[in-house]
Amino acid sequence: MIRILSALIRASLMVSFQYRSDLFFEAATGILRCFSAIAPLWLAFQHTTAIAGWTPPQAMLVMSLFLLFHALQGGLFEPNLGEVVQLIRQGNLDLWLIKPADAQLLVSLRRIDPSYLWDFGVSILMAGVCIAQIGPISALDAALAALLAVNGVLAMYGLWMLAICTSFYFVRVDNLRYLLTTAADAGRWPASVFSTGIRWALTAGVPILLVTSTPAEALRGQWTWTTVAGSLGIGLAFVGLARVAWMRSLASYTSASS
Amino acid sequence: MSSLWRHLKATPAMFRVSLADTVAYRAELAIWVLTATLPLVMLALWETIAAGAPIAGMTKIEVSRYFAAALIVRQLTGAWIVWEMNFEIRNGSLSAKLLKPLHPIWVWAVWTVSAMPFRMIVLTPLLALLAWARPELLTLPAAPDLALFAVSVTLALALAFLVQTAFGSLAFFMDRSIGMFSLWFGLWSFLSGYIAPTAFFPSWAQNILYYLPFRATLSIPVEILSGRLHGGLAWQEIGIQCVWVCVFGIIARTLWNTGVARYEAFGS
Repeated sequence: MIRILSALIRASLMVSFQYRSDLFFEAATGILRCFSAIAPLWLAFQHTTAIAGWTPPQAMLVMSLFLLFHALQGGLFEPNLGEVVQLIRQGNLDLWLIKPADAQLLVSLRRIDPSYLWDFGVSILMAGVCIAQIGPISALDAALAALLAVNGVLAMYGLWMLAICTSFYFVRVDNLRYLLTTAADAGRWPASVFSTGIRWALTAGVPILLVTSTPAEALRGQWTWTTVAGSLGIGLAFVGLARVAWMRSLASYTSASS
Repeated sequence: MSSLWRHLKATPAMFRVSLADTVAYRAELAIWVLTATLPLVMLALWETIAAGAPIAGMTKIEVSRYFAAALIVRQLTGAWIVWEMNFEIRNGSLSAKLLKPLHPIWVWAVWTVSAMPFRMIVLTPLLALLAWARPELLTLPAAPDLALFAVSVTLALALAFLVQTAFGSLAFFMDRSIGMFSLWFGLWSFLSGYIAPTAFFPSWAQNILYYLPFRATLSIPVEILSGRLHGGLAWQEIGIQCVWVCVFGIIARTLWNTGVARYEAFGS
């Protein structure tokens, strides 16, 4: 499985670097995208010293985690899972199903959109600067934050996969992913900005807060075993549900060519 | 003259067809509308900050009213033809449109306007929810201001449409027209008053923003609707909107005409 994984990633990187001429344009877009994401935060801190208890570096860390996820979403989820809708409609999914490896893994990691590598780099740099400014962090907090961040990304992957599975049954669901990206956009702000209802929706419905605010809180040492267990539970549930939905959808898939 | 008459005569029928088309893909449109609820997120954020002290002279309630108005204006000025244009230019389906005796841009314009009633229907539950949870946020301005709002929001829609036509026409010349539009959109969302009222900017920035096209597509009608902009000052800003509509009208027309002249898609 690890071998397949690394082969997939290598192949998709090779494909994406065929189009080097766009690199400059994409660098400009990526950097501007990050800038336009930080700009509102900069504006907010012109008028206040803390947003709902979050100081500038802490709020900025939430933003960098969001940008990191945004890069994953745009560079990995969108080109792969978004394409599955097309594959199903045109019948090309059959070509992937007959390959001797797990089809879910294959359709999830076929391609990488290199334009988001810039965002990825910039957001990691930003996160690093923020963490340095927040000050000393205990090893346990840091480890938990990393675990929770990975868990959050997996939860969002599960949600994307669930959305994609609906395209086995309905034709026009392309826009479902716009809905997902928009809902995820709310994750760029610290969770405590929102009312309890919205916070729940963004934790258990579209679990974007698990990617952004939850790890950032853990890094500040503001976690309890209940929140950690709850977050991991939600993450597992999304990934598990996605797997079940994918297997079920495949079982009922009648293919376009057979 | 006969061309104009032909276009006007065909418009009611086009309107009916577009309306039927919109209703046929209602689930898709509902998703588009939901994606435009960002003002509610910004409302939550800025309300939290304004709860302590007024921001740039705007109290918490004024900030909230601003974003409630932004939610409505965003829907009324929604134009999404840049993707449609890009798609039709690249895959050649534009060729069929060019054969018809109606100008393709007119067809897209009617299509954009015919989506409005439906956008309003989908917006209704959102507004109802807002009216129930926060009735103080939805106040109507006085009749003269309402008339100003009608003028301003129409100009904003026209400008949004023309900007997209200009960026859509770029597809004749380059593969990256959608990328160019996302760049514009990134700038727009920050500078148009979509994520923060322009009053929150430092005053030097406000002076520049006053003359840029971004405010003209959103924050001018929003400020009129939320009761922050009245009378003469509002007319001045509407004047700026008119100028930008003309400028982008000329840009869009030039790009389109040059583009069509060198258009070589499949099947042409």
